[in-house]
Amino acid sequence: MSAQMPHKSIVVQSLAQIGNCGLFLLRILAAVPSSLRHVRETVRQLWFVGAMSLTIIMTCGLFVGMVLGLQLYHVLAIFGGTSATGSVVALAIYRELGPVVTALLFAGRAGTSITAEIGLMRATDQIAAMEMMAVDPIAYVATPRFLAGVIAMPLLCCVFCAMGIFGGHLVGVSWLGIDNGTFWSNMTANVDVWDDIINGVMWKSIAFGAVVSLIAVFQGYTTPPTSEGVAYATTRTVVSSSIAILALDFVLTAFLM
Amino acid sequence: MTDTVQAKPDDRALVRIRGLTTVLSGKTVFDALDLDIPRGKVTAIMGPSGTGKTTLLKHITGQMRGDKGEVRVDGLNVPELPRDQLFGLRERIGYLFQNSALLTDFDVFENVAFPLRQHTKLPEVLIRNIVLTKLQAVGLRGAASLMPSELSGGMARRVALARAIVFDPMLILYDEPFVGLDPIALNQVLKLIRTLNDTLNITSVLVAHELAAIKEVADHVYLIANGKVVAQGDPKKIADDGSPWTRQFFGGDADGPVPFQYPAGDYARALGFKEGAA
Amino acid sequence: MSQRKSYAVGTGLFIVLGFAALAYLATQTSSVANSHQGSSYTVDAQFANIGALKERAPVKVAGVRVGQVQSITLEPGKDVADVTLSIDNKYNQIPTDSVATIYTSGLLGDQYVGLQFGGAKTYVANGGHIGLTKSSAPLEEMLGKFLGSGGAADAIGGTYSVRADFTNVGTLSVGAPVKMAGVAIGSVASIKADPVKLDATVTLSIDKKYNQIPDDSSVSIFTSGLIGSQYVAIQPGGSPNSLKDGDQLVLTQSAMQLEDLIGKFLVNGSPSGGNNAGGNGSSNTPAGKH
Repeated sequence: MSAQMPHKSIVVQSLAQIGNCGLFLLRILAAVPSSLRHVRETVRQLWFVGAMSLTIIMTCGLFVGMVLGLQLYHVLAIFGGTSATGSVVALAIYRELGPVVTALLFAGRAGTSITAEIGLMRATDQIAAMEMMAVDPIAYVATPRFLAGVIAMPLLCCVFCAMGIFGGHLVGVSWLGIDNGTFWSNMTANVDVWDDIINGVMWKSIAFGAVVSLIAVFQGYTTPPTSEGVAYATTRTVVSSSIAILALDFVLTAFLM
Repeated sequence: MTDTVQAKPDDRALVRIRGLTTVLSGKTVFDALDLDIPRGKVTAIMGPSGTGKTTLLKHITGQMRGDKGEVRVDGLNVPELPRDQLFGLRERIGYLFQNSALLTDFDVFENVAFPLRQHTKLPEVLIRNIVLTKLQAVGLRGAASLMPSELSGGMARRVALARAIVFDPMLILYDEPFVGLDPIALNQVLKLIRTLNDTLNITSVLVAHELAAIKEVADHVYLIANGKVVAQGDPKKIADDGSPWTRQFFGGDADGPVPFQYPAGDYARALGFKEGAA
Repeated sequence: MSQRKSYAVGTGLFIVLGFAALAYLATQTSSVANSHQGSSYTVDAQFANIGALKERAPVKVAGVRVGQVQSITLEPGKDVADVTLSIDNKYNQIPTDSVATIYTSGLLGDQYVGLQFGGAKTYVANGGHIGLTKSSAPLEEMLGKFLGSGGAADAIGGTYSVRADFTNVGTLSVGAPVKMAGVAIGSVASIKADPVKLDATVTLSIDKKYNQIPDDSSVSIFTSGLIGSQYVAIQPGGSPNSLKDGDQLVLTQSAMQLEDLIGKFLVNGSPSGGNNAGGNGSSNTPAGKH
């Protein structure tokens, strides 16, 4: 297949890639029932893609919240509306920055490691060894990582948002001196559980988690099992995930609004 | 599994390949290959690099399918097996990969225990005993808690062997088990192959280049070239059977039936001279 | 095995942390009240115009949230909107003569339904109907009531002059239009300060066509548009006698500051009837006589 690739145009290649990716998703989903026997593996992957990403997610969430608080305070000060800082920080984080930045970080932190890991497993015949031990590698390798990504993303996104709010509070209240009560009551009054948290945070991040982990697993699974192939696939994971996240974000925002 | 495909109990060949033809990206790998692997014996498959010895093993396990022909393992025609039966068959086959293929996430113990955990619901005590028995058999019980990255090449191969025999398979396929081993490790693996074959009554198939090692361990040798079996017989005598293939292969001649030159166009023309001008 | 355990524990901690963060976001940073609550009862109200009222908009009594708008449908065959209010069971004692009004919170805020309780001793039952409603008044309409619109009189048929004293003329300038029912009927001829009464005496020169203005009419200074120029508006009274050249209009209302103006509407979320100040935009009697 790779020998024929260079002759095709980029458009045809991309379409073929998307098509293969879709078919791969079907294989992953078809393997969900049999992967239930490997719950432990899913838990283990949840540890690697989820818990291990916490540090970067929390740090970035904190700084995003802090910089938002700082920027918005000064813009809102022009209109004498600094009391709205809390609600604007919260809305910006819940509706856009939380899911999108978490997904981008997730693609960089967990997506690349999934791709590289699966690519190396193929290069060292571990996938073939599983086939030989009558273990379906899709059910054992691909599906648990995919499921772990789908589960981990919304949780990470919640942590990111909470840290962002904390960062905004830190700058807004502790540093710039917005009244603590005003900060919270304004936020509470303007943030809606269903519109902002369930639709904004949860659905988006579940969709992003599915897309990022699908791309990561797919790239790792289909790359030529060489060191060059793994390096290339890792790059592709970051590039395709980022494009997919931002494109999907637009579609979801238009759809959920 | 019906009676019609079940092997006759007295069938001496565990693996029976008939008329196997495989073409991979325009190159004919097997050309109507016929080959039998006798039960309970150590069979070696030799041949120049690139003749598809590893590919042959993959055909036996169903990882690859030929374009034509039959591959019967214990009476089952592998290319036609549905996935679940193929997986059932694979549970009875051990496969030793050239680079060991240990799961890098797990330590030695968990690597050997992996097939047991995947396919059985045995109590932990029993799994522990089975795994330690197999590790003891390959002499690595003491290394149970090491990670694969901490093992030498020879140790990794022995761990992979322990994993391959954890289900007491009827057939073990060894893909280049001697490559990259120092003489001590090579002899350890050699001894293991022979012992396992004799004590567990396993059928072994060995893909290798090292004639000296094969002379010691194998009962039967196939020499494959150009997609066919070009010579076979007792490993101690095969080198003297007089065929040009064996003479070149075991004599190690640079040129012979296996050409030194990879097939190419006219040399003079490739250099820009007119044909026959020089 | 210990390796497995640590994964499980760590992963468990991660999941707990994630859900704790979710719970925190949902309870501490957002209004749970906006979500659907278990026990509630519903009442209907019909409005001629709901403006920008949306489903899930709050329902308030005395400014306190008691429920939300459950659904908005068009009454089949009529041009009235049927609004179903889902109200917390705690507040199920709504007098039958209560008034439901659609208000706007703040200048640019969302709309909500306000209930003013009546004095009846009977209460609206679950699924019942609130009969008295006041529809949404679009901001433009509300401001328009005060402000009228521009335009100057042509004064072709000659003019006559009347005087009016104001305590404050704001930024009214000579030449500014004089309007009745929103139509320009003349212009401001002069503005002078009265040295004795310390008032501003404004002379209005009115087109002779409009010589049947009752002599008890009131006169006010308004602003056209939010930041427009000021003009003089005449609200006709009921007297049988008409204004004559040189008369003085006694009932005057001085210029209001824009802040006062907006404050009147918006602080309470709605204009109350008394603030309509005669409503020159809707009054039509004298002009129609012509």
